[in-house]
Amino acid sequence: MTQLHSNLSAADTQREDPPRMIAQPALREAMASWLAAGRAVIGPRRVRTDLVQYQWLTSPDELVTSGFVKPANSIKAAVLPRDETLFTYRGNGKHLKFEPFELPTRPQIVLAARPCDAAALPILDHVFNWDYRDPLYNRRRELTTVISLACQQHDPYCFCTSVGLGPDSERGADAVLVPLEEEAWEVRIITPKGAALLESWTVDCDRRGTAGPGPDPQFDVTHICQKLGYDDDIPWAQLTLRCLGCGACGHNCPTCHCFDIVDQTRRDGGSRVRSWDSCQHAVYSLHASGHNPRPRQGQRQRNRVMHKYRTYPEKFRDVLCTGCGTCGRNCPVDLGVRSVLGEISRRIDSSTVSDEHSSQESCS
Amino acid sequence: MIAQLRTRCRRLLSDGDVQVVIGYEYCEATGAAHPTFLTDPAQADRLTWNGACHHNLVTYLKRPEIQALGRAAVIVKACDERSLVVLQRESQIDRQRVYVIGVTCAADHTRDKETCRACTTPSPRFADEVIGSPPASSAEAKGADGQDRYAQLDRFMERSTEERLTYWQSELQRCTKCYACRQACPLCYCQRCIVDKNQPICIDPATTTKGNFAWHITRAFHLAGRCVGCDACTNACPAGIDLRLLNQSLSRAAEVNFHFRAGEDLDSAPPIGTYSLQDQESFIR
Repeated sequence: MTQLHSNLSAADTQREDPPRMIAQPALREAMASWLAAGRAVIGPRRVRTDLVQYQWLTSPDELVTSGFVKPANSIKAAVLPRDETLFTYRGNGKHLKFEPFELPTRPQIVLAARPCDAAALPILDHVFNWDYRDPLYNRRRELTTVISLACQQHDPYCFCTSVGLGPDSERGADAVLVPLEEEAWEVRIITPKGAALLESWTVDCDRRGTAGPGPDPQFDVTHICQKLGYDDDIPWAQLTLRCLGCGACGHNCPTCHCFDIVDQTRRDGGSRVRSWDSCQHAVYSLHASGHNPRPRQGQRQRNRVMHKYRTYPEKFRDVLCTGCGTCGRNCPVDLGVRSVLGEISRRIDSSTVSDEHSSQESCS
Repeated sequence: MIAQLRTRCRRLLSDGDVQVVIGYEYCEATGAAHPTFLTDPAQADRLTWNGACHHNLVTYLKRPEIQALGRAAVIVKACDERSLVVLQRESQIDRQRVYVIGVTCAADHTRDKETCRACTTPSPRFADEVIGSPPASSAEAKGADGQDRYAQLDRFMERSTEERLTYWQSELQRCTKCYACRQACPLCYCQRCIVDKNQPICIDPATTTKGNFAWHITRAFHLAGRCVGCDACTNACPAGIDLRLLNQSLSRAAEVNFHFRAGEDLDSAPPIGTYSLQDQESFIR
């Protein structure tokens, strides 16, 4: 197992510039001007009394910046839409005329992203620029400016600090808003893109903002990566028995990026579309022959955790997870990467216990 | 009641009557209850029972991972039990192979006020045994006579067709087709769901308005006269889509047209799969 990349645990930039700030009215004014200029704005919106989601916003009134821990979904739809047309075709039989996709042109701003959602973007960049440079993904990424909003609170599902991030991490963000007081934030400009978008809306202030404390670290990510392997002795089936096999974890995860490709055929042509998929679905790994290499849910759960904490790290020296806890929060049966890794971590700690069954499953 | 539940389940496992107990466990880290599977009598103290136990555990009976563990005892609320009755009517389970422990609803079963308020059967009726006594606030105390079962649907149907269409367009816009609704549903037991069929594709797998309407309407129709209103789908949906409205609409259609309520008794013939010369529609006679 290679060492994980240094930026996983690197401290964020030491700040020397005098602090700048923005208050809620100025932020709303800025947002209105971006919308008026034709840019798309994606940010947290209360869609039900008990549910906040990132959505495409049409007015500053829709933006919510407090009263929730984390939007239930992620910002990945901004760079990897739920459905995306790869090409269209006309005609039938051997006489087909292909029309390639059109690259998007509309600049977009992800406003008030949680740092754990913003951090997912550089993680996804590796995937979409490895053996094939995905033009649609990369164009959307170029068109995107991310302004993240540091966390003041966390819940039992959060574990960003276990994967080298924290409540005011700068990774993946072009600017970070850090709470100063009610409805006002210190603005930390991270990139020229962030400066170009936000700097003119800020004013001087005399102090730095502070984020909340963040969750206590819950496991050693390097140990986890080392423990996972083709010959691991982790009782996956037992740890994940309650998994229902839906894609609530993967679809809402900021770093899960698998998609399915289908042809939507009409009489006179059609289009080839890629749509989000999840490795937790039984048909995900079903071969055309009828054989399924992962016929049981425990194997599918293992695949998901292995991809995040073994396969991706081997390739890119980083983990495919930002510790946002979205999987656990969305899971209908309260299972998530954190609970599975917590259990694996306890097993590492008590690896001297010879009897597998004696250290069985606390749920966590 | 929890003590009684634990004692009983410990006994079922130690006597070898069942190989696995499907119940609920409390998670200290998250403060949530979740399904749990006990295979050893020593694990019985992990069982819990309170208002947070909203999952319909009957759905696990269809999963091969659970079937592989052997004969199961399953803990059911009255609403969950109705789905067991439908499975039995549809020859999907061998009732002798399942030990059913009914539990009366805890006084704090307010997870879903709308559905629980309209509930007329807080105590299971077909279980092998029932643990607990119905809370004072059950059936009679609630004054529930089934009339308000569709209160939420009635309010919804008062809106105009255009308003309802706008509502569903807006709600289903959030659906990402994670299929948590299908996976949580005890009655979605098709070996290969129609939405997973791709030769040819029957339902547009995209999450466009068209694709989402196709999926949710098809699923609702597949549950017409079968859905027992346990709300497992609505509770599972990470996008907070109120799927019960779709299901209720078809449940009421079955009730009005065929005088049938799914899962209420073991004798009534299900409307789907029954042919009658007295059918009110001429096309089928």
